[in-house]
Amino acid sequence: MRMVRYRSRLAGLLCAVLISQPLLSPGVAEARGKAAKEPAKAPALSSDQRILHLLDRLSFGPTPESIAAVRKMGLYRWFEEQLDPEEIDDMGLETRLKSYPAMDLPADELLTRLPSGAVIRQVADGKLPMPDDAQLARIYRHRVDIYQDKQEKKAAEKTDAGMMMPATGPAAVVPTVSPARLTYGELLVKSVLGLGPDERLERVLGMGPHAYEEFRSVLKGAQREHLMDGMTEDQRELLASFDNPGKAVTEELMGQRLLRDVYSERQLLEVMTGFWMNHFNVYLKKNEEAPYYIASYERDTIRPMALGRFEDLLVATAKSPAMLTYLDNATSTGPDSAAAESHARRQALGKEAKGPLPGLNENYARELMELHTLGVNGGYTQKDVTEVARIFTGWTVDHAALGGEFRFDETRHEPGEKTVLGHKFKEQGQKEGLKLLHMLATSPSTARFIATKLAVAFVSDTPPEALVARMAHSFEDNDGDISAVLRTMVHSPEFWAPEAYQAKVKTPLEYVVSAARASGAEIPDPQPLANQLNQMGMPLYGSMPPTGYPAKAEDWVSTGALVERMNFAVALAGNRLGKIRTDWAAVTGAATDPAAEELALEQRLLPGGVSEKTRAATLDELGAQFPAPAAGARPLNENRQAARAAQERAVLAGMLIGSPEFQRR
Amino acid sequence: MRDGRRVFLRNGALLLAGTAALPGFLTRAVMAATAAPAKGKRLVVIFQRGAADGLNVVVPYAEPNYYAMRPGIAIPKDKVLELDGFFGLHPAMGGLKELYDAGHLAVVHAAGSPDPTRSHFDAQDFMESGTPGLKSTADGWLNRAMQAEDAALAAKKGQQARTAFRAVALGPELPRTLMGKVPALAISNLQEFVVGGRGPNAAPVSSAFESMYGESGDRLLHATGDSTFEAIRMLRATDPAHYQPNAAANYPNNGLARNLMQVAQLLKADLGLEAAFTDMGGWDTHQNQGGAQGQLADRLREFSDAIAGFWRDLGDEAEHVTLVTMSEFGRTARQNGTGGTDHGRANAMFVLGGRVKGGKVYGRWPGLADEQLNEGRDLVITTDYRAVVGEVVSRTLGGDLKAVFPGARLGAGLGMMKG
Repeated sequence: MRMVRYRSRLAGLLCAVLISQPLLSPGVAEARGKAAKEPAKAPALSSDQRILHLLDRLSFGPTPESIAAVRKMGLYRWFEEQLDPEEIDDMGLETRLKSYPAMDLPADELLTRLPSGAVIRQVADGKLPMPDDAQLARIYRHRVDIYQDKQEKKAAEKTDAGMMMPATGPAAVVPTVSPARLTYGELLVKSVLGLGPDERLERVLGMGPHAYEEFRSVLKGAQREHLMDGMTEDQRELLASFDNPGKAVTEELMGQRLLRDVYSERQLLEVMTGFWMNHFNVYLKKNEEAPYYIASYERDTIRPMALGRFEDLLVATAKSPAMLTYLDNATSTGPDSAAAESHARRQALGKEAKGPLPGLNENYARELMELHTLGVNGGYTQKDVTEVARIFTGWTVDHAALGGEFRFDETRHEPGEKTVLGHKFKEQGQKEGLKLLHMLATSPSTARFIATKLAVAFVSDTPPEALVARMAHSFEDNDGDISAVLRTMVHSPEFWAPEAYQAKVKTPLEYVVSAARASGAEIPDPQPLANQLNQMGMPLYGSMPPTGYPAKAEDWVSTGALVERMNFAVALAGNRLGKIRTDWAAVTGAATDPAAEELALEQRLLPGGVSEKTRAATLDELGAQFPAPAAGARPLNENRQAARAAQERAVLAGMLIGSPEFQRR
Repeated sequence: MRDGRRVFLRNGALLLAGTAALPGFLTRAVMAATAAPAKGKRLVVIFQRGAADGLNVVVPYAEPNYYAMRPGIAIPKDKVLELDGFFGLHPAMGGLKELYDAGHLAVVHAAGSPDPTRSHFDAQDFMESGTPGLKSTADGWLNRAMQAEDAALAAKKGQQARTAFRAVALGPELPRTLMGKVPALAISNLQEFVVGGRGPNAAPVSSAFESMYGESGDRLLHATGDSTFEAIRMLRATDPAHYQPNAAANYPNNGLARNLMQVAQLLKADLGLEAAFTDMGGWDTHQNQGGAQGQLADRLREFSDAIAGFWRDLGDEAEHVTLVTMSEFGRTARQNGTGGTDHGRANAMFVLGGRVKGGKVYGRWPGLADEQLNEGRDLVITTDYRAVVGEVVSRTLGGDLKAVFPGARLGAGLGMMKG
C-alpha cells in the first residue's frame, strides 16, 4: 500500500521536476562548465535530487531500495547508518560470497589451497612437502607434473639447439589431430560429464597432465558449465585450482570485489574500501604472490579501517606484505646494517654470497611521502627520501613466496640517527618507522592532501577551496578520523550545491557497477564485468604505477571510452554478458506502449530524469529497429510476440544506460 | 574553422554512405583526395613509462666506471651491439641495430627534461605537457604542435581538410601529450571501434546514440560523442577487419607491436593521420633488472622487435614517417641494493625515419666518472628532450616552436634530420 503511494508520489514529483525544469537547467550546465568561482545561478536541489545526489556520491549508484531507504530515514540518518557498517545486515551479500570460500583464507593458507607457481616449484624441488589432504595432493601432483614437463622441454630445447631433430615425446603437442585421438577425447568428456558431481571431481583430479589437456581441448563452451553441475563451492574451487590456480585466485579476487560493490548494503564502506585501495595502490601482477597478498590486504588491512583513523590505516599498509613487496621495501637493506656487513665479509673471504650486495631501496620511502601522505608538494627533498628509506630498512616479509607475514628484521636495519624534514630520529629499530608514520599522518600537508582527494572523489573535479580547507581542519581536529571528515563534507553546503549535482563523470568501475545496480541485474558470475573493466582501461587491481587510477572526467572521457561504454550498455541490456540477467519486464510491468515502457525504464535507471533529446532518440531507435507492422500483416504468434517485446525493452534500456546522462553521477 | 570542418565531414560522411557499395580502394581514394596531409607530416611518438634504464639500453661500454658502478647488471663489452666505437645497443635490440646500420635510426644520449623531479607522475606530466616545472599547462606538446601547424597554414591562407583521425592514441585513454584544442582520438583496437555490435547490425544503434550525444546539453560528452561517431564511420569504410600487414613485417606478439600495427594500418589507409601516440610500460626496474638477460632485456626485445616490425610493415611509406621515443627520466648510474636501479636523470632517445640522418649517436656525452654525475648519482642531461622533439616537429608538422615549447631555449638543434 505504502509502496504504491511512494511510487506514485515519486513519479508525480519527478514528472513535476521534469516538466517544470529540465534536468540540466542552463544555470547548472553553465556553472558546471566553469571553475566553481561564480555564484550559483541555479535553484537549490529539490529533496528528490538530494536523495539521488547522496546515493550517487556515497554509494555505487541508486536503486529503488536504497532510494526508499533514504527517503524513509532521512539523508543524514542514512549517512550515519552507513558510517556504522557492522550494524547493517548484509546477509544477501554474504550468501553470494559463499561462491568464493578461498577468499576467507589468510595469505599463506590461500597459497596452499590454490598453489602459486612458486609453491609448486618448491614442492617439485623437494623443499616443501605435499599437502596431507588427498584432493589437494592430487592437484599438487598435477601442477608439479606440468611444471616438470616444461622443465624437460626447456632442457631438451637447449641441448637440441641447432639440430634439426623434430621434437619428440608427448610433451610436444602435434598440431594436427588424428581422428582416433579426437574420439578418445570426446569419449572421455562424455563419460566424465555423465558422472555425479563427487565422482566427476575425483575423475578429473585423477587425470594426468596429458589426459587433462586432451579433456580440456575437447570440452566445449556449454559443456564446461556442466562440468561443475551440482558441485559445492569448495568442489568448484578445487576444480578451478586443478585447472589454473593463479587464475582461480585472480578471478575470485575480482569476483568478490564486484559482488561487494554491486550488492553490499554497506555501500559507503565499499566505496571507501575502493578509495583507499586506490590511494594505497598495489598491483596485481607485481609478482606471483601479489594476488594472494592483495586478497588479505583488502580484507584485513583496508576494509576494517576504511572509515577509521588515517594513521591506523597508514601503519597497517606500511606493515602489509602486499605494500612491502609492491614497493620493494621488503628487500631493502641498510648499507651499514649487520646483514650488509656479513655479506661483504663473506665476499671478501671469497665465499659465495647469495645474490648481489644488499642495499637501500627508495621506492616505498618516496611513494609514502609523495602519494600516501604529504603529496608531491609536501616539501620533502631527495635527501629526506633517502633518510626515510633508511628508517624503513628491516620492515620486511617472512618468506614472501609462501605468504609469510610482516617481520622486523633487525639485521637489515640501518643503524644510526636519521633526519627527515628537519626532525631527528634516534636509532630505535622498528619504533623509528612508527614515529615517522605518526609525524607524516599528523602533518597539515597530509590533512590537506587527503582532504583534497576526498573532495575530488566525492564532490567535484574542482572542489571549492573553502570546502577543502574545512575538511582538512576536520582531519586535524579529529585526529585523522575519516568518518569525521566525511561528516564534515556531507554537512557542507558545497556538497549540496547545484553545481555539484551530476557534476562528476563516472569512472569505468562506477559506470559498470552503477549500471548493474540500477538494472537490478542478477549476476551469478561477475567475470564479464571484470573483462569490461579491462577493456575500458581500468582493470581491477591493475594500476601498475603507485599513483592508482585518476578520478577526474578528463581522464576517462575519450572517444574510445564512449564506444566501450555504449557497447557495454547494449550488451548488458540485451543479456549478452555471460550469465548476467536483467529483467526489464519486471520494470515495465503492465505497460505495453513504447512511451510508457520508456518512462518506466527511465524512472528505474535514471530517476533523476533525462533530457527530451535522450528520450526522443531512445524512442526513435525503438521505432527504427521495430517498425509498426504493416496494415493487414499477420500478427505474430505468442512466443514471437513475447520475444519481440523483450527485445524492444532491451533496446530501450540499452539506450538509456548508454546515454550521456548515465555517464554522470 | 571547426564548424567548417564539421560541415565538410558531414558531407564527406554522406558521400561515404552513398559509396558504401564501392570497392574498398575507391573509397580510400575518395578519402585520400580530400584528406591526406602532405607527405612527411607523419609523426609517431612512443612513451616508455616508468623511466627506462638508458645506460643499459645504449651502453657506454668505453666508460670504465660503467662497469665499476654496475657489477651485477652491466652489459659485457663482448655482448653489446656495436654502434660507434663508444656506445653499443643492448644485445636484445637486434631489430633497432639493423635500422641503425641502414642509416634510418639516430640515437640521442644524455637527453632529458630540465625539471629535477624524481616523481614518475610529475616527470611524465612535465614531459608530456612540454613545460617542465609548470603544472598549470593544460595541453600537451604534440597537440600544440598541431595547433602551431594550423596557425602557420592560416597565416599563408592555406587550407587543409582535417579528419577525426588527425591525432590518434593507441590505447584506452588519451595521453597528456595529445590533450588540447585539436581533437584527438583514443582507440584501443581498430576492429572493435564500432557501437552496438560488431557486424552488419551495428549501424542502427550507432545513429541513435549519435543523435543523443550530438544534441546533448552536456558540453563535454557532446563534443566527445561527435568525434566518436565521425571516427567510427570513417574507419568502417576502410574495413579494418581485413587488414593484412606487409608480408615482410613479421611483428612480434606483444602489446606495443599490436598498437604499432594499427598505427601502420591507419597511416596506410590515408585517413589523415598526422600524429600517433602509444606507450609501453614495465620499465621501472627497481629490483632484479638483469643484465644481458632478464627483465629489462625482455622489455627491450619487445620494444626493438615491435618498432622494427612497424618499419617493415610501412614499406615504402616509411620514407614519410618519423618516430621518436622518450621516457620520463633515466635511472641511477649505480645499481641499487636489490639488483636494480632507482630514479635518475638523463636518458637515451631514439629517432627513426626516412628523413633522419641515422647511424649516429648525437648529443654531448657528459661522462660517467663520479665527479661527472649529477648529485653524485645520475647521468647529467646535456640535451633538452624538447630540442630533439622540436627538431622532429619542425621538419615534419612545421609551425612555430616557441608556441609548442613556450619558455624553452632550444638552440640550433642537433642536425639529425635531412632538409
